[in-house]
Amino acid sequence: MSDQLVFMMGEYEARFPTDRQYCSNHLYLKEDSAREGSGGKVYQVGFTAYSVRLLQDVYFLDWSIDPNSEVREKQEIGEIESSKALSTLYAPFQGKVLDFNEALLDDPSTINTDSYGNGWLFRFETSAALLSPDEYIKVLEDGWEDTQRMIKGQLN
Amino acid sequence: MAAALIFDDAIDVSLVPHLYDMSPDHTGMLFMRSVPGDVLVLSWLFPRASRWILDRCGIRGNEGVSLLNKSDDDEEFDEDEAEAAMDSDSESPNGIGSVDVPDRNVYCIDLRDHTDPKVYLDEIDRIAKEKSVQTVDLMQWIQGTPKPEQLQRYLEPEKQLAAMRTDGSEHPEAAHDPVKRRWYPVIDYDRCTNCLECLDFCLFGVYGIDKLDRILVEQQDSCKKGCPACSRVCPENAIVFPGHKTPAIAGAEGDVSGLKIDLSKLFGAPSAVDIAVRERDVELVADGRDAVGASIGLEKRQARENPRDELDDLIDGLDDLDL
Repeated sequence: MSDQLVFMMGEYEARFPTDRQYCSNHLYLKEDSAREGSGGKVYQVGFTAYSVRLLQDVYFLDWSIDPNSEVREKQEIGEIESSKALSTLYAPFQGKVLDFNEALLDDPSTINTDSYGNGWLFRFETSAALLSPDEYIKVLEDGWEDTQRMIKGQLN
Repeated sequence: MAAALIFDDAIDVSLVPHLYDMSPDHTGMLFMRSVPGDVLVLSWLFPRASRWILDRCGIRGNEGVSLLNKSDDDEEFDEDEAEAAMDSDSESPNGIGSVDVPDRNVYCIDLRDHTDPKVYLDEIDRIAKEKSVQTVDLMQWIQGTPKPEQLQRYLEPEKQLAAMRTDGSEHPEAAHDPVKRRWYPVIDYDRCTNCLECLDFCLFGVYGIDKLDRILVEQQDSCKKGCPACSRVCPENAIVFPGHKTPAIAGAEGDVSGLKIDLSKLFGAPSAVDIAVRERDVELVADGRDAVGASIGLEKRQARENPRDELDDLIDGLDDLDL
């Protein structure tokens, strides 16, 4: 794998490849040079190591929108459930969701084993400004206290 | 269950239409109001929702504690969580509470918690036994100085109910109409602090103020079906929409929806206020009115985010000066 940055989640080393960009709701966006978009660049979007670490074993993934749907930022697009957590999924930016990784619908566990590769979630076209790996690490550093508090708050 | 309970001499059983959908003058509600002693209500609603729907319709009492309020199936439900649940069950210290609460218990039990009817029958039996010990109190009350109409109500609830039916204040046919599905907020006064943010936020005239200056759901049927925006804005989570899919809005205890961690915030969920503003705008536009965004009804909340400064003190001080 190419170069990567590391963020320590307690004892856990979360790794972030520098060959792609990120967004503040903990997804990576990797440019898909094979695809040409009409309204912006096309990216493969997936969970970062940070997301996967918090989710743990994913066993359910469902999309609530159709392929080729225009979405606005923070629009609800699907749901995910793991052994420890559940979450609604939201569009990272305004853009267009082109298609979904069909293989995951049968077996979402690839999200855990190969999130940065075959575990990608959907192809997304957007012209929004993304976060560089360094900027994303900064988001993680700034949010880590709050994230821990949120999780502990729910456990109490 | 009803068939099993009919044969129990200690209990009177009645089936009524859905609590939430009945209007206050529906015969089902009139009957329930005529019940003089402890009431045990089984419904497919969270206990908080049932309790405050009944309160609103004048069926009041102290909160009866059922041992069934949490499903035993949750194996991971350890003692710490149980304690936390107890904490969150307890009413808010600033809650304004109900008014004119008679000395009796109202038990609300959620039929969705268990699949086995025996669990409920056993619990009803337990509560009935517990109460039969206390009938001494009830007898003292009768031997005390009850007003004649109270005595009548205790001795002959059915007769009084019949009288209410024929007193001409309602149309019997209307009361027998099939109950329509309804949608309106129910206020949990144990949590409500009467801050009136809901009154400011709702632009459809649902909320009002009663004679005691307490918040009141004045026009239930002005509420927009499916819209729970005021519940999201309420700082105390005191507004219940029993039919909403989100447990926290439908009246589940506490703030936790399940045993799993909800990571939605992390993955970009908009804040409750953002959602509420959007929901309200959708309903405004549907009514042919203009969307207002966050410009109306949120002033108090926004003001609170800034710490008080000297100017605030100065301005508030002006009110104290008798000019």
